[in-house]
Amino acid sequence: MALLKAQGVVKTFPGVVALNNVNLTIRPGTIHCILGENGAGKSTLVKVLTGVYVPDKGEVIIDGDNALQHPQSFSKVAYVPQELSLFPEMTVAENLFMPFAKSGINGALVTGARLNQAALPHLERFHIEVSPRALVKNISISEQQLLQIARALTNRSAEVLILDEPTTSLTEQETERLFRIVRRLKDEKHSVVFISHKLEEIYALGDEITVMRNGEQVASAPIGEMTQRQLIVHMSGRDFDLDETFRPESPRGKPLLEVKNLSGSGFQDIDFTLYEGEILGFAGLIGAGRSEIMQTIFGFLPEKSGEVTLNGKRWKFRDTNASMKNGLVYLPEERKHHGILPLLSVRQNIGISVLGETTKGFLISSAKEAEIARQIITLYEVKTSSDEKRIVFLSGGNQQKIIIGRNMRGQPKVLIFDEPTKGIDVKTKADIYRIMKELAERERVGIILVSSEMKELLRCSNRVVAVYHGRKTGEFDTGTTSAPEIVSAIIGAEGVHHG
Amino acid sequence: MANTIAESNDTRLASQSMLRSLLANQIAGVFGILIVMIIVSHFLSPTFLTGYNLTIIMRALAFAGIVALGQCLLLILGELDLSIGAIAGLCAVVGGMLMVQAKIDPFMAFAICLLLGVLCGFINGMLIAGLRLNALVATIGMTGIYAGINLVATQGRAITGIPQSILFLGKGDIAGIPVPFMFLIAVAIIITVVALCTPFGRYIYAIGNNREAAQMLGIKVNKVRVICFMIAGLLASLAGMLMVARLGSAQPSIGNVWVMASIAAPVIGGVATTGGVGNPLGALIGAAIIGVIENVIVLLGVSPYWQTIVSGAIVVLAISFDSIHRNFMKKGS
Repeated sequence: MALLKAQGVVKTFPGVVALNNVNLTIRPGTIHCILGENGAGKSTLVKVLTGVYVPDKGEVIIDGDNALQHPQSFSKVAYVPQELSLFPEMTVAENLFMPFAKSGINGALVTGARLNQAALPHLERFHIEVSPRALVKNISISEQQLLQIARALTNRSAEVLILDEPTTSLTEQETERLFRIVRRLKDEKHSVVFISHKLEEIYALGDEITVMRNGEQVASAPIGEMTQRQLIVHMSGRDFDLDETFRPESPRGKPLLEVKNLSGSGFQDIDFTLYEGEILGFAGLIGAGRSEIMQTIFGFLPEKSGEVTLNGKRWKFRDTNASMKNGLVYLPEERKHHGILPLLSVRQNIGISVLGETTKGFLISSAKEAEIARQIITLYEVKTSSDEKRIVFLSGGNQQKIIIGRNMRGQPKVLIFDEPTKGIDVKTKADIYRIMKELAERERVGIILVSSEMKELLRCSNRVVAVYHGRKTGEFDTGTTSAPEIVSAIIGAEGVHHG
Repeated sequence: MANTIAESNDTRLASQSMLRSLLANQIAGVFGILIVMIIVSHFLSPTFLTGYNLTIIMRALAFAGIVALGQCLLLILGELDLSIGAIAGLCAVVGGMLMVQAKIDPFMAFAICLLLGVLCGFINGMLIAGLRLNALVATIGMTGIYAGINLVATQGRAITGIPQSILFLGKGDIAGIPVPFMFLIAVAIIITVVALCTPFGRYIYAIGNNREAAQMLGIKVNKVRVICFMIAGLLASLAGMLMVARLGSAQPSIGNVWVMASIAAPVIGGVATTGGVGNPLGALIGAAIIGVIENVIVLLGVSPYWQTIVSGAIVVLAISFDSIHRNFMKKGS
């Protein structure tokens, strides 16, 4: 009998089909792995299974009950998110039993001694080796994770446990301990849904596997019936329709940025060289350390060791100002957080980067500023009714064009784009690709393109560097590489493409 | 599919931009409110629009207005300084002591006190930007310290006998316009030009919009923050010293009631309490609106105790509008 079942689940958001006819069966006492690239629909599926989203079509059956009609049955499903939701300034025991009434801690007076006493057997059961009196902020991430699992299973008497990429920040030993506990839960006839990108973990732990891609369930099978090779092909898609490509075609020039043995927070020993007139892709999963590498080179994060040569000169990591003066520009991933000044106009958002050009004496010339703004709007085909419009009212793609335009005023040599088309519609994406290609071909800049979208990397880059767990796991020439090879490298399946 | 999203976004954006252009001219709107209030006041009290009464209003609003312009920069930056009233008071009594007890040249004393105001602002800025303290709590604490030093030094007594030579700065008129009001206008022009037309001003808006983006752009965020606190301190001490010249004595209580108006005026004038938006001219007009309301209350013979209630109500009303406006904009995007 299935403990948890999704039947024909469809979930759409305005303009996007996030889940298309997903049928999932989680049997009692099994570990079911869900695999898929970023944006494949895993988190939407989890939200449907936990009752956060109501699907447009289809049913969720929990323990024989139609959960959409009996929402209380969702309490049998516990979810442990990647970002833990504990109370850092409260004790382990308080966290374990919060909210008290639900976990059988009754009465008006809840003393610490009583809670701590009640917590001990639970802590022991989950191998949590800390005092119930310890503050959660003072215990390790691994202990916090186990505590969150314990909380889910203690006071909600959940039967299905969903773990979302639980090993991302764990050491090997901590991962082992987690696996032991997960296996014991399985023996106790709980079901575990395990979301992960890491092939070795999936093969070590899983009984069944479901692969998601673009909101579709591409495959579901017992783990023994699917080889690694098949898995990777399912994940990346075999027939990759690249449509038009935007790889720079002019011959590449001299080396612009040479990185040797660079280590920093979240990555080690990164080596690569970026040449004039090329686009170098950086592939990796979220959390693999790609943004950290780029922000370190840009001088926003401190480096630990390594050597970088920029345009023939030994480059010292100082600050973002020095980087920009030396022709190195980083266009951050989170436009909203790092890029735009949302409440200011298009003109002012451009103006903040070109103050050197617009300032005479002490004062900024608004006329000069507006002139530059209009030049950028025309040159990069920005769709805006006026340069006085607040930048937040422009679409993401047009915001991105403005960020590119204002950065090109300083005539940089190296441009680092971090997820430049995230949340941008298909048509504008092609505009951004064309702009990147032209900058590489005409202005002879070197471009680094950090992207989670395999198709984007293959369409735009001449070469792709793969990063897994803070280390470089491969470098590919996109002219002669297929997607599964790169995907193998970014999910740490070394050597898979040879077999 | 993506195209339809883009299109629906476009139509929504178009309707929003109409709304935007209505709201964009916030300064004109606030100025309109001021004009309406002046007209209404004229009908409520025949003495309101007399030249004598207008000079009273101008003189009265000058002090809190100058302080409000400093607070305005901090609000745009996304900060707040609750101690600027106490800084004004401290500078006022120190100025009084220097002039009366130390017999220093009054204009020299005036200048020294301006520097003292800058120093107080610098301390606040270092606490907030350097030690990363919460601006609200840190400046409440510093209010206690500045006000306490003031009381220890004066024992709560006013310092009388301020030299005649400096009194025109507070009491005098030039061509019928009160001198403190001229200071206010001068400060307003300088602050507006700095905010809107200089790189430094742009940095203030950028930081108030998005501190992380500002950092990524290479703006020295903490330096700008400290300098803004110093400017606010400078303007507080200027207002305090002008008040000494106006009263002819240095009262320890100078500045006590300015903090509320210093926040209310910019907020009425369209400066967002969350930072990043606003125009110093709005703060000036906001200060004028408060000045008119307080004046009318007196003219109508309402108990002065009611004034406090009215001022408080204006602050709450103004930030309510600010919040409603923001939620409205958010719903759109």
